[in-house]
Amino acid sequence: MIRPPKTLFTVSCPPHIHCGRTFNGLMLETILALMPAALLAVVTYGFPALRVMALSCSVAVLVEAACWKVMGRPQEVDNFNALLLGLIFSFLLPATAPWWLVTVGSAITIVLGKAIFGGLGGSPLNAALLSWASLHLSWPESMDIELNMLGSSFADPLAQLKHFGVEAVANIPLTDLLLGKQVAGLGVSHILALLVGGLYLLLRGRIRWHMPVSFLTGVLATATLFFLVEPGMHPSPLFHLATGTVIFGAFFLITDPSSSPVGRIPMLAFGFLAGALVMVVRVWGTHPDGVAFAILLANLLTPMLEKLRPKPFGLNISGDNHA
Amino acid sequence: MSKFIKEFTKGLWKDLPPFRLVLGLCPTLAVTKTADNGLGMGLAVIFVLTLSNFMVSLVRTSIPAKVRIACFIVIAASLVVAVELLMQAYAYPLYTQLGIFVPLIVVNCIILGRAEAFASKNPIHLAVADGLGMGIGFTLSLTFLGALRELLGSGTLFGAQITAEWFKPFGFMVEAPGAFVGLGLVLGGMNYFTNWQRRKQGKAAIDGPTHDCKTCGMCQGLGGK
Repeated sequence: MIRPPKTLFTVSCPPHIHCGRTFNGLMLETILALMPAALLAVVTYGFPALRVMALSCSVAVLVEAACWKVMGRPQEVDNFNALLLGLIFSFLLPATAPWWLVTVGSAITIVLGKAIFGGLGGSPLNAALLSWASLHLSWPESMDIELNMLGSSFADPLAQLKHFGVEAVANIPLTDLLLGKQVAGLGVSHILALLVGGLYLLLRGRIRWHMPVSFLTGVLATATLFFLVEPGMHPSPLFHLATGTVIFGAFFLITDPSSSPVGRIPMLAFGFLAGALVMVVRVWGTHPDGVAFAILLANLLTPMLEKLRPKPFGLNISGDNHA
Repeated sequence: MSKFIKEFTKGLWKDLPPFRLVLGLCPTLAVTKTADNGLGMGLAVIFVLTLSNFMVSLVRTSIPAKVRIACFIVIAASLVVAVELLMQAYAYPLYTQLGIFVPLIVVNCIILGRAEAFASKNPIHLAVADGLGMGIGFTLSLTFLGALRELLGSGTLFGAQITAEWFKPFGFMVEAPGAFVGLGLVLGGMNYFTNWQRRKQGKAAIDGPTHDCKTCGMCQGLGGK
């Protein structure tokens, strides 16, 4: 018979930081931080990008409302979380994604990613990435960004690197990558716009610096390691920072409160691990961009990382544990 | 006779092996890519389970309690070898599909579980009823899950194309993660159905676990008891 532990201190569902700010406000500000990238996506890809984002958001909100209705729970779709999840998910898709792909993906984000785990704060995995991964397994050709954006005047640098080797990307100047002259998911290619949004969230204290910084450090350190160990085989470490979903992931994906650890050291370890895994997938994996899989894997380790915690004052841990 | 029927029917819904007892999950997850595979696996398990229950019940008074588990395994293993040889002779394509999971029936929790929990304590006719019921329940569950995954994941049912042209198969469901998602959805659906039934009968619904301190367990590391 397993007895439940005696209540010492009740930890409620994340997010934990309260200072007069509301959850709705947090969601709205995150959406606001995504707006520059969304605007630039519409400028670059035109009407199709707007269509994908609008469809994904509206499906997410409708599906969540239906979920709470079916599950007989209080209707909480008005807290903007579904809207944000829908927007984040749409950012990962190619701009030409067909309507059924967007609808199915957005519904999976809400149902399998969030509602089934009990709603807000319950999901152990990043909902948008979970959905992205399941779609990627099911319809790889529809989710392949390079294949679906052949009409674009730019190329997907990571796909080029995967298929044609390091020479193909050696001449791409870093400024081009920063200015969004590359093809990636519809919202994630405008690095500068995402940086602006991410820094806004950081300065407003809406996300904490530990995870973005350690994630970027993880990518940079591992990329430098590869760059130094096998010279001529890998592009510069900064190339890896400025391509794919790295910047978007650092500020908007790994900072998801329900699937990331709480403490400072766990957050640092979590970010660094995810960053290192990105490079492992990019170099040795079959997928051009490893950010989604890296973050999902790190999400799975969150409960373990939560064990890294300071010793509470006045509590004899070893004596109690082994008694 | 009523006891016989009771022991037979409990495996069909009340103690349905993979979905109620949550036993035998390894084959449930691994071989249900198609309805065909689920059905074939289920038939092999019916054979082994019924005969193993019969034999265990037959020798239940003469096995010393200390070595009973080893004896059960020996009985199950002999029967599985027989099934394996029969499948190689008469259903070779299915045998290649199921692969390692046919020999693994030996360590299927249902076989050992029913031998230990039921057949070693009950007379032969009841043990056979229990084995048949559990085996049929297992087969139906595997076929159902396999059909669900096959329908969504490849758009076919028992190998026949039944979905419309425009349907693009959701291949995720026939991959490994789809097995877990499918099993979870079936379990959730069964709980929902049970509660719906209870409410109709005027009983209180069974609540699922709530997310509170008891389910979290994080403070165990802090010395909580």
